Order: sequence, then structure tokens, then C-alpha cells
Amino acid sequence: MRRSLAFSALLLFVTLLFAWWKSARAPQPVVLTPVLTGEPEYCLTCHADLPEISPSHPVDVFGCVICHGGERLALDADLAHATLRGGANPSDLSVVEASCGGGNCHSGSEAAGRDHIQRVLTSVQATYAGAIASIRFTFGAQPDLQAYLGIQAVTDDQTLTGISSLAAFDPQAETHPSIQKFGQECLTCHLWAEPRQGEAYARFTGCAACHTPAPLFSSPPIFGENGGSQRGVHRLTTAIPYTQCNTCHNRGNYDLRTMTFVERTDQPTTRIEDYYQPIAQFVLCEWTLDCVDCHTRIEAMGDGDLHPNQASIQYVQCKTCHGTPTELPLTKTLTDPEDLAFKLAFLNPVIDLQLGDTILITEQGEPLWNIRLLPSTDGGEGEGITYEMYGKATRQYFTFRPVMGSGCQQSGENQSSAYCHTCHAVERHVHP
Amino acid sequence: MRPNFFHHLHPPTIPAEQARWRHTLGAGGTAVFLVLVLLVTGILEMFYYVPNPQEAALSVQRITYHVPYGWLIRNLHYWAAQLLLIFASLHLLRVVFTAAYGPPRRFNYLLGMGLFVLAFLLDFTGYILRWDVEVCWPLVTGTNLLKTIPLIGDFLFRLAVGGENACESALLRFYTWHIFALTLPVVILGVWHAFRVRRDGGIAVPPPALRPNPERISRFELVRREVQAMLIVGAALVVLSVLFPAPIAPAMIGQPVLTEEARAPWFFLWVQQLLKWGDPFVFGVLIPFAILLALILIPYIFPPPAPQDVGRWFPPSNRLAQVVITLIAVFILVLTLVNR
Repeated sequence: MRRSLAFSALLLFVTLLFAWWKSARAPQPVVLTPVLTGEPEYCLTCHADLPEISPSHPVDVFGCVICHGGERLALDADLAHATLRGGANPSDLSVVEASCGGGNCHSGSEAAGRDHIQRVLTSVQATYAGAIASIRFTFGAQPDLQAYLGIQAVTDDQTLTGISSLAAFDPQAETHPSIQKFGQECLTCHLWAEPRQGEAYARFTGCAACHTPAPLFSSPPIFGENGGSQRGVHRLTTAIPYTQCNTCHNRGNYDLRTMTFVERTDQPTTRIEDYYQPIAQFVLCEWTLDCVDCHTRIEAMGDGDLHPNQASIQYVQCKTCHGTPTELPLTKTLTDPEDLAFKLAFLNPVIDLQLGDTILITEQGEPLWNIRLLPSTDGGEGEGITYEMYGKATRQYFTFRPVMGSGCQQSGENQSSAYCHTCHAVERHVHP
Repeated sequence: MRPNFFHHLHPPTIPAEQARWRHTLGAGGTAVFLVLVLLVTGILEMFYYVPNPQEAALSVQRITYHVPYGWLIRNLHYWAAQLLLIFASLHLLRVVFTAAYGPPRRFNYLLGMGLFVLAFLLDFTGYILRWDVEVCWPLVTGTNLLKTIPLIGDFLFRLAVGGENACESALLRFYTWHIFALTLPVVILGVWHAFRVRRDGGIAVPPPALRPNPERISRFELVRREVQAMLIVGAALVVLSVLFPAPIAPAMIGQPVLTEEARAPWFFLWVQQLLKWGDPFVFGVLIPFAILLALILIPYIFPPPAPQDVGRWFPPSNRLAQVVITLIAVFILVLTLVNR
């Protein structure tokens, strides 16, 4: 009896050793108490190897949970991730208000420049209103090209475009088969949509569709050796390369007869060949710079108003930077240290802006903060005026001169790219 | 050897038959040990548990992930609670199948049934104390069942919940029920139950003249066997706790969305299955209560077992009681398995 008692005691001892061994194997918790929440979170126990997402979101200020959600105290991956917002992408538009919103973050006032979410939700990138209206008009479902429907229902209480709301587009409610098929096949390039399958289309949804540029397929799993299979990088940036825009804008074309998306099949080897749109002429800017070097925040993310189509919001032209034979481009001398240009240059420090610098601005007053007027050598009629420009994504350095004072005789009224192509285009083979 | 305090809690000698594992299954004694484990681990958990709707689930996460060996304590508490229901059920089945409920043990049978019900209520209230997203549906369903009871339903609901919305206001009530208002009766009834076992002549065996084996064992041997059983059950608890952690889910913040996958805790899956069949009062209250009543009345509605049958497995003189409890057990088991 004593022997069996001793054996039983030994058995319990061994099981306790087992418990001790399991406890000793557990990773040492790494605590972080972000300034903004003041609540300890333990995500870094597993994710210590993730780089800080951006200089404007320092981890010791934001932590992880304020953006990603999740169970901040859990050390078990399943529980910790159970309440993540948007899975690995908290910027998905279905959760973006909870993740990125707030008056002091990205859903604040227009005056404070913090209305990013409202702008994006009403932008054509999110509503896809122009494409929907065009298709519905083409197949007789609506009498004109006005925008009535968007991907999601959305309203604009202070409309300046005359469009105060869009109802949600429901392909199933359409009667024309082509519109139904459009709904099934062609809604893959707006900010709500998961991308098409394939490396060329790989992007996230929501804000990260543009601000998390990454070669997703060649990236390691974002959770590294601690498990998980979501590929990508932990990065938010305004230095968005053209390749990121290409995941939607340059991967093929829609065939309206079959209402399908025809993927491009070529393998471009040069930058100019990388264009797939059915035009064959490009000026140097178009195939050397990145899209974001010319196209502005308002064009890409909207201005807070509901627009009927892309053309309605796109306004930057060659003359925005180069001027016309009779006018120099618009400029602004930076006198306020709180100027938006400094904030944007802080987010993407490709240029060392200083008070007193003169930068270009658009017709709507948006700062082209990466383009600065160089000191003039000769003040007459544009001669001797030179601008310097730093590529937002590449940091490449360029200088250029205004049209004024050059031999260009193009009218200031006709400044769309086709006019400039006439003299300045580089020809390339047209894709069939 | 001089008997110590623990030896003195036992009779000097007992019939050897009574102390055999195959006679008792060790179920009652194991249940006592599990209650002791629950008391100790429960007290340790109370050092960290915060009975506040905003903090409760987070404090459970703290216990699980950050308090040194808190995970082990919580898992031991969980597994002891689950095993208690199993061993209490086994104990009840053993008592009926060995005809051990007859006079003079009828009152102690009632005490045991009281403990049986309390164990289920404690398990349910403890489950709710997790206060995570998985407990809201069972909490709402369970407390809404109270409302269906005519006349006193609303009163019982208020008594249990302490407010209009269970998932917002029930935590403090359930905490008090769990820690005090149910545990204290368990301790009192438990001591009373154990006392009545001795008062009623120990574990049921036939009268001395009808016993085939007159051998007796001392209290020292009895305590040794109990200690051995405790060591083995303790080891099993630790293994279960290490290999199979207690369930945990995201914190319940506000009113969570109730989903179709919402499930009752395993010991009430049979009631959840019943509820699918119709009227909540009939299927969620009346039928479970009728089953409980049938169990409680077994010693009173069936003829007392013959003296020579007391303490014998499956004796002929209480066959009807055996059939009834078997049907009840199979009914509950099948409903539980169907609803898994």
C-alpha cells in the first residue's frame, strides 16, 4: 500500500513537472503601454520583429490595438487575433472608421485636414460611380450618365457637385444580363473590393490598397516565424510607387461585348512598355515619374464631394507644373511652419523644405510640396527660372523649366496631355 | 499510530466491502476532493478576478496569461468543475444502481440531490463569470427561461440578473451567487451530507447478518486509500489542465451580436436541444424540472429495496428505479450528443 501511495505521489509530481515545463517554455511576455491608450498590450511578444508602420504612427504612442483591435492581453494567437479589425488589414473600408477614424486621426474636420475617411468613402475610387453609371446607361438601365449608384450607399450633406447621395448598386436587382455580369466580373478595382487573383493584382483593400505598397507575393509572411500566412509588409506610406497604382489601373482592359476583364498577357521589360492603356504616346513625365508625383491627394482620395466619374475629379494637367506660354505655374512661398506642405514632407521626407521656400501649387491650392523653385539666375519672362523636383517614391532628382520663355506656342486653353503629346511624346508599340 | 485530525474525520473501522473502488466507484469521495480543489483554486482566482463588466474578461485573460501559474490554477478550477458534474452524476447513478437510497438514507439522498443541483448552478454561474462573447447567449437564454415561469418568473429573473439586460447587469449577481450564495450552501450541505453518511450507518451495505464478507478495515487504511485517490485524481487534473486549456473568448464589450452558432455549456446542451422543440416554458423549464423531480422522488415513490439488496449492484428489488434513472440518463445523453 505504501508503495502504491509513493507511486501515486510520484505520478502527481511528474504531472506538476510537466506543468512547470510548459510554463517555462512559454515566451516571455513583452508589454507595451502606448501613450494614447495607457492600456498595456502584449502584441510585441510575438510581433517584436515587425518594423514600425510609419514615422507618423510611432508604436510607443499608438501601440497596436488602437488600429488593429484584437485582445490586447492574450498571449494565445487564436484569442489575440479573434477580434482583429479587418483581419490583417484594419484599413478595410468596412472597419476603417473604428481603426483609423476619430476626430484627432482620420475622420476629423475638413478644416483640420483630417477628413481623410469621409473623402475616401465619397471618392470615385470607393464609389466606382462613373463605371457603374456608364454601364447602366449603355445598357439602358438609366437615362443619362449621371451617377445614381455606388458600391455602397453614401451621402454627401454639403454637396458641391449636385450629387447628394448614391444608393448601393445591386447587380441582382438589374434586369439586363450585361449589367448583372458587370456586377459579377468587373467590380474588382474599387477600394471595397478584394483584388483579382494573381501577383499583378495583389493589393489590400481600403487605405492600404494604396498606402501599403508591397510586392505581396514575394514578401515573407507578415507574422514571421510565429505563425500566420498573410503576406505583406507592415508599412504605411505616402511614397506610393506607380507599381501600386498598376495593380488596378494597368493590368488589362474590360471587354464590353463579353463584359469580362481581359488580363494583359505581355511581360513588359521597360517602364514605357509597362503601360497597357490603349494609347501609344507618352511624354517623359508619364513614363519616368510616379503617378503620385503629378496626381494629387484630392484627385486620388477625393475632395469630400460625390463625383459622377473620374474625369470630374481629375484636374492636374501638364500646365500645373509647366505653366503655359503666357503664365508661369502657380507658386506659394512657405511662411507658416504649420503649412500642409511641411506635414506632407514630414510623412515622406524626400525634400528638406524650409520656411521661405517657394513651391508649386495646383489650381485648387494643393501644395506640390516636392517641387521647389530654384533661385533665379535671370528674372525675364521665364528665362532662368528652374524648378527642382524630387520623386516621391524614387527620390530621383529632376530639374525642369517653365513653358514660358520657351519656343512652345501651345494655347493655354488646350492643355490636356494629347496636345502636349503632339510635340513631346515618345512613341511606342501599340498593344493589340 | 495515533490518529490525527484527518483520521478522526473517519470511523475507526468500516466494512471492507464499503471501501472497495468497485463498490463506490470512488465517486462521492472524488467529488469531495474536487470541491476542495475548487475552493482552493477559486480563492486563488479571486485575488485577480474583477467582477466588473468592463474588466471581468480582461481579468480572466490576466489570470490566464500573466499571473504566474494563473493558467494552471484556472484550468484546474475549470476541469475540477467539469469533473465534479461527471462524478456527482456517477455518484447518483451508483446510489440508485446499488439501492443505497432507501431508509434511513432517504433524507441524505435529498441532501445529495440538493448538492447535485447546486453543482450545476455553480458550474453555470462560473461559466458566466468569464463574461466573454461566448457566454452572452447562454446567459440570455437561461435567464429568459426564468421569465417564462408563471407568477414568479419576473421576480426570479430580477433575483438572478439584477436588471433588465442580462448581458449588462448580471455579472455582479452571478459573482455573488457563485462565490457566496451557492458555495456556502454547498459547504453546509456537503458537511451535512458527509455527517449523514456516518449517521446513517456508513456507505450502504447489507445488514451484518447478510454480509458475505465480515472483514473490516481501519481508518488508517481508509485515509491512505483516500489520499491515493486524491493523488491520482490530482495528477489527472493537472494533465487535463496542461493539455486542454479552459475555454476563453474575446471580452464581452457591450451587447454582443448573438449568432446562430451560440451554444449552451456542455452540461446544458440537452436543455438547448429541448428548447428547439417548442414552447420555452414547457421544454426549457417544465420538462427539466419534471426530470429533476423524478430523480428527487426516487426514494419516495418506489418501494424500498430489500435489505439483502442494499449495496449490491443492480439488485432485482429496485429494478423499476434503475430503469427510470437509466432512461433519464440516456435521454439526457442522447440530447447532448445530438446537439454537439
